Amino acid sequence: MSELKTGTFSVSDLENVQINIGSIVGAIEKTAAEEGEVGPTVKPNISGLRDWDYKLLERYNPVYTPMCDQCCYCTFGTCDLTGNKEGACGINMEGHNAREFMLRVITGASAHSGHGRHLLHHLIDKYGADYPLKVGQTNIIAPNVQMVTGKKPETLGDLEGALSYVEEQLVQLLACVHVGQEGEAIDFESKAMHGGMLDHVGMEVSDIAQISCLEMPKADENAPLSEIGMGTIDSEKPVLLVIGHNVAGVTNIIDYMEDHDLTDKMELCGLCCTALDMTRYRTEGGDVPKAKVVGTLAKELKMIRSGVPDVIVVDEQCVRADVLREARELMMPVITTNDKIMYGLPDRSEDDIEDIIDDLKSGRDDGALILDFEKLGEVAPRLTQEMSKIRKEKGVVSLPTEEEFNELTSRCVHCLTCELECPTNLPISDAMTAAEEGDLRPFEILHDKCVACGRCEQACPKDIPVLNVIEKASQRVIREERGKVRVGRGQISDPEIREEGVNLVMGTTPGIIAMVGCSNYPDGTKDLYRIADEMLRRNYIVLMSGCSAMDLGMYQNDDGETLYEKYPAKFQKGNLINVGSCVSNSHITAATIKVAAIFAQRNITGNYEEIADYILNRVGAVGVAWGAYSQKASSIGTGCNRLGIPVILGPHGSKYRRALIGKPYEEDKWKVLDARNGETMDIPPAPEFLLTTAETIDEMMPMLAKNCIRPSDNNMGRMIKLTHYIELSEKYLGIMPDDWYKYVRNETDLPLARREEFLKKLEQEYGWDIDWNKKKIVSGPTSKLDVSAQPTNVERLCKEA
Amino acid sequence: MAEDFPFEISPMFEGERIRKNDMYVELSGPKSIGFELVKAAEMDDVVDGKFNMIGPDIQDMEEGGRYPFAMIYKIAGELVEEDLESIVERRNHDFQNYIQGLMHLNQRYDVWVRLSKEAVEKGVTSFESIAQAIMMLFKNELPFIEKVEATYITDKDEIEKLMDEAKAKYKARDDRTRNLHDEDVDTFYGCTLCQSFAPSNVCVITPDRISLCGAINWFDGRAAAKVDPEGPQFAIPKGDVIDEESGEYTGVNETAKSLSSGEYDRIKLHSFLDHPHTSCGCFEVVGFYIPEVDGIGWVDRDFTGAAPNGLPFSTMAGQTGGGKQISGFLGIGINYFRSPKFIQADGGWERVVWMPKHLKDRVSDDIPDDIADKIATEEDVSDLETLRNFLEEKNHPIVNRWEKEEEEEATEEEETPQQAAPAMQMPASMPMNMPAMPTSGSGGVKIILKNAKVSVDKVIIKKNE
Repeated sequence: MSELKTGTFSVSDLENVQINIGSIVGAIEKTAAEEGEVGPTVKPNISGLRDWDYKLLERYNPVYTPMCDQCCYCTFGTCDLTGNKEGACGINMEGHNAREFMLRVITGASAHSGHGRHLLHHLIDKYGADYPLKVGQTNIIAPNVQMVTGKKPETLGDLEGALSYVEEQLVQLLACVHVGQEGEAIDFESKAMHGGMLDHVGMEVSDIAQISCLEMPKADENAPLSEIGMGTIDSEKPVLLVIGHNVAGVTNIIDYMEDHDLTDKMELCGLCCTALDMTRYRTEGGDVPKAKVVGTLAKELKMIRSGVPDVIVVDEQCVRADVLREARELMMPVITTNDKIMYGLPDRSEDDIEDIIDDLKSGRDDGALILDFEKLGEVAPRLTQEMSKIRKEKGVVSLPTEEEFNELTSRCVHCLTCELECPTNLPISDAMTAAEEGDLRPFEILHDKCVACGRCEQACPKDIPVLNVIEKASQRVIREERGKVRVGRGQISDPEIREEGVNLVMGTTPGIIAMVGCSNYPDGTKDLYRIADEMLRRNYIVLMSGCSAMDLGMYQNDDGETLYEKYPAKFQKGNLINVGSCVSNSHITAATIKVAAIFAQRNITGNYEEIADYILNRVGAVGVAWGAYSQKASSIGTGCNRLGIPVILGPHGSKYRRALIGKPYEEDKWKVLDARNGETMDIPPAPEFLLTTAETIDEMMPMLAKNCIRPSDNNMGRMIKLTHYIELSEKYLGIMPDDWYKYVRNETDLPLARREEFLKKLEQEYGWDIDWNKKKIVSGPTSKLDVSAQPTNVERLCKEA
Repeated sequence: MAEDFPFEISPMFEGERIRKNDMYVELSGPKSIGFELVKAAEMDDVVDGKFNMIGPDIQDMEEGGRYPFAMIYKIAGELVEEDLESIVERRNHDFQNYIQGLMHLNQRYDVWVRLSKEAVEKGVTSFESIAQAIMMLFKNELPFIEKVEATYITDKDEIEKLMDEAKAKYKARDDRTRNLHDEDVDTFYGCTLCQSFAPSNVCVITPDRISLCGAINWFDGRAAAKVDPEGPQFAIPKGDVIDEESGEYTGVNETAKSLSSGEYDRIKLHSFLDHPHTSCGCFEVVGFYIPEVDGIGWVDRDFTGAAPNGLPFSTMAGQTGGGKQISGFLGIGINYFRSPKFIQADGGWERVVWMPKHLKDRVSDDIPDDIADKIATEEDVSDLETLRNFLEEKNHPIVNRWEKEEEEEATEEEETPQQAAPAMQMPASMPMNMPAMPTSGSGGVKIILKNAKVSVDKVIIKKNE
C-alpha cells in the first residue's frame, strides 16, 4: 500500500456502505408532509397556544398567595407591591407573582431538558445518531414529542430537533423574566403553561433515549422488583453511594463492577432518581437489578451521616449543596461527574487513574471532578474498596455513642427553636424528653416524617446535632427499612391501552391516579400507602414515578407486603405501575395522548389543542404531588394542566403560592360545545380545578374521585365515579358531599345500591321532579345525558363551525 | 335501602378476596355442589321480595364448614322473557361481589361462594339480607323486573334434585344462542357506549356478531334496550336484506349514517374488504389483509411479536380504530371467530392464513377441521416468503386464488415493461450536484470500503455563484 498523502481520493467499490448525514444546513427542512396529517401547531412558539391557555384560564382562574410582598429583581427596587401599588418598572403584585411561578416552571423544565441534552450527547456519542428508538409495543414512539414538534422520531439523532426546539423556547421564556418585558399576569400564566408543555417534551426525550440504549424495561408489565431502604445496605461491604438524576456515568460503574467480578463484593446503592434508573439499567426482560435504592432526597443527609458510604458519586439535580462538606467530615471522597455540580473540585478528567485514586485515598484531595465516564467507571469502585479498608482501620464513626447520645438529649433546653425552624414543625422537643427517659419511640416516629433538611441543627442554640440524634435513636427502625419497589417500566404500551379501553369506556375503571413528585410529605411516607391502597382497592389505575414511587415501596402492610407486591403492574384497573424516574413522568401524559390517538384516531402530530381538549373533556386522570417541593414538580404539574389534567398538591404545595381554581357557582363557565353541531351544552364542574392543594389526606380522597369525573362520561362510568366520590366523602369526611347532585344527569347516574335513597333526596332536598312509578327523574338536572355528544371547548372542531 | 343491610354494598368490594383463614363458611365450589339460576316466570307465580330458605341458614352453620349452595331467582314483568334470564343471572355474580364480606366466583353450576368471619360478626346471620340486597340491585338496575322472588338452598338432596333441571336450562339457553342467527331475528342492537371516547363508532350487535370489545352480545343488547330504549344500547330494525351473504341491511345502513353523523352510509356486517364494520379502540383482535398472499391474518393484543408482514399488533391496530371504516383492517371481538358468518363475504375461514398460536388454540374448536392445520402460526412461519411456502405446501385453499390471479396477470403482461422503464431512470433525476471525480488514478490512494459507515456531521449546501 502506498503512503497516505493529502489531496483528492477516488473512492470505488463500495459495498454495504451506509452514509449518515447529521443535519443539513441551507436546504429546506424535511417537509412536514412526510409526517402524514399534521395539525395546526407544529413547534408552537410562545403565542402558539395562547388561545387554548386563555380558554383554560378563563374557567380556571389563577389565585396568588404571595410569599413576599416585594419585588427585588432590579436596582430600582426593592419595590413594595402591597395595596395595589406598582413597582418602579410598572409591574404589579399579580404580574410579579405570575412571573415568579413561570420562572419556577422554566427552571424545572430546564433541569429536565438539560439532563436530556447531556444524556443525548452522551448516548449519541456512544451508540450513534442512527441508533433506533425502542420503547416497547407502540405506534407512537414519543407521544409528547410528536404532538408538540410535529415529528415522529425514530432514531436517537431525531431527538435532537425536539430538544433544540425546547431549548430555544426556554431561552425565549427566560427572556420574558427580565425587567421591562411581559406586564400582564395572564400572559405570564400562558407562558408558564408553555414551559410546562416543553418540560414534558424534554423529559420524554431524556427517558426514551435511555430506555432505548440502556436496555431498560420497555413498557414491561413484568418489570422486576428492586430492594429499597437503608436497611437493605450491607455496611460490612465496601459501599458506593451515587446521588442525583442522571444515570449516564453510573452505567460505566456497573459495567466495570460486572467485568471485574465486584458485584457481590461491594454495595452499589443510590439516592433519588439515579437510583431508580440504576435499577432499570439492563433489566429489560426481567434481569435482576444491578443496584439497590436507598431512597429519596429526604434520605440524603441521613445516609451520609450514617457513615456507611465509603465513596460518594454525584451527578445532577436534587443533590444537596453540602454533600462535599458533610462527606469531608466522614472521610468519604466525593466524585462529581457533571458540569452542573462541581463543588469547586479539581478537574481530574484527563489525569491518570492511579494518580486520582492515590490523591483521594491519601486524603490530599477530598474529591474530584471526573467528566470522563470510562475513567469514572474504574475509579469509583476501586476507590470504594480502598476507602472501605482505610475507613474501617481509622474507625470512622459518625453517629453519637450511647453516652454521647444521653449527653446530647440532656443538653436540650426545650426552647423549641428547632421546631419553629422545621418545615413540618415536628415535635423534636418532646422526643428529646422521652429519649432522656429511655423511650425512643417518639424519635422513631420523627425519623419517618423528617425530610433531613438539617435546619434544626443550624437553629439550635446549644449546638445539638439534632439529625444525628434522630438517626441514632432510630437505628432499630432504620435496620428494618427494607422495602421493594417495582423497577420503572417506561411507557404504557398501545395494546395495554386498547385492552383497558373497555374498562375506561364502560367506567369499570373509574379513573387514573398519577402519584408523582417529591418526598416533602406533611406526615411521612405512610400517606402514600394510604392513598394508593384506597384507590387501588376501588379499581383505579395508580401510576407512580420518581420519589413517590420509591417511598411507596418503603411501607409494608401487616403481612409484610409492599403495595408493589400486592398489586399487579399492568395498565389495568386496580393495578399499580411505576413508570420510572422523574423524566418518566412524560409517559403519564403520553398515556392520555395515546388514549386520544387510539380511541378517537385523533391525529396527534402538531395538534396540541385538539388533544388537550379531548383529554380535558374525556380522560378521567388526576395527578397527585403529595410531597412536591421542587421547581421540577411545578413544571411537571403545569405541563399536565395545559393538557387538561388536574393536579392536587399536598399542604407544602401551597408554598408555590399559586393555584388554578374553577368556580362551580359561576354557571356560565361550565358550558362546552357539542362538536356534532356546535350547540352549547351544560356540563358539571368537571374537572373542578387544574391546580389546588389539600391540607389532609382525608380532604383529598373525595377530591380524587370527584376530579376523575368528565363531561363525556357515559352513565355506567358516571355511576361508578359518583359512587366512589360519595363513599370517599362519607368515609373520610363523614358527610355527603354538598355538590353530588350536580353530577347527576338522570337516574342511571345514581349509585346503584342507593338509588331509591338518592331519588328521595333529590326530590326532597333539591326539588327535582321524580316519577316514582318508573323511578325516573323527570326534571331537575342541569346537564343532559347523551353519550353520543362530543363535548369540546374549541369552536373550530365543531362540524358546523 | 342500603342502611338496612348489615353490610356495605359498593363496587369497591368487587376485587375482595376471602382467604381460608378469614372465611366463615364456603358455599358450593369445587369440593361441593351448587348452582345459580334465574327463571322468567308469570306475574302471578312470583311473590315480590319473598325469600325462601331450604336447608340450614347461616346461623345454623358451623364455622369453617363447607355447604352445598343453590340460588334461584324467579323474575316477572311485562317485558321479562326467557332470553333475558342469562343476562340477569350474570349480574348475580357482580352484585354478590359488591357485598362486603361475600366473594362469588364463577357461574352456573361452578359457583363458588365464601362468606367472611367479619361479615358474620357484623350481623350477617341469615342469607335473607344477602338475597334482599341482590333483589334490590336487580330491580334498580333492570327495571323491567317488576317482581322478584329468591330461593336459597343449602340442602344437598334438594340441590341434587334440582340440578338436572338447572343443567337442562343452561343447555337450552346455549342451544338457543348457538342456533340463533341473523336471519332468525328482525331486530339488531346498536351500542354507542364508546362514542364517549370514539365519536363515530357504530357498533352493530347481531346474533352472529358480538360487539368489538367482546363485552356485549345480542342478548345483552336486548336486555339493555328494554331497560332504557333511549339509552346507549338500542334496537336497530333490520329493515330489508340488501345482501345476505355479506350482511347488508337497509336498517343497519340507515343507523350507520345517522350515528356516524353522515360519515358512513354502508356497513356490511360480515365483510372484511368491502364496507366493513367500523372499528372502535378496544377491539380484542385486529385482522389484516396480506396482499402478497391475498389472505387475511389475525393478531390479538397478547401477541407481542411481529406478524409475517413484519408488523406487531400495535402498528396494525393503529391503522384502524377510532370509529373508522378501513378496508383491509378490521377490529373484532374474539367471539366473532365463533360466528358461522365469520367474514363470509370474503371467503370466511378459507381466507384466513395466519394467527398467533395461542389465539388459534383458543378458538380451535371453531375452525373448520379441513382448514385448521393449514393456517400458519408464528411457530410455522416467520415472514411472507415462509408463509407463502407454508400455504403452498399445505395446499391452503387460498392457493387456488393465486392460480386464478396468475392467469389474469398473464394477459396484462404486455403493458408492464413500458411502465418499468421510467422507474429505472429515477437516480438520474436526483439533484446530486457532486464534483466530478477522476475515475482513474493520478497517484494518491485508492480506498475500497466494505461494510463501512460514513458519518457526516453537517452538510452545507451553497448556491453556485
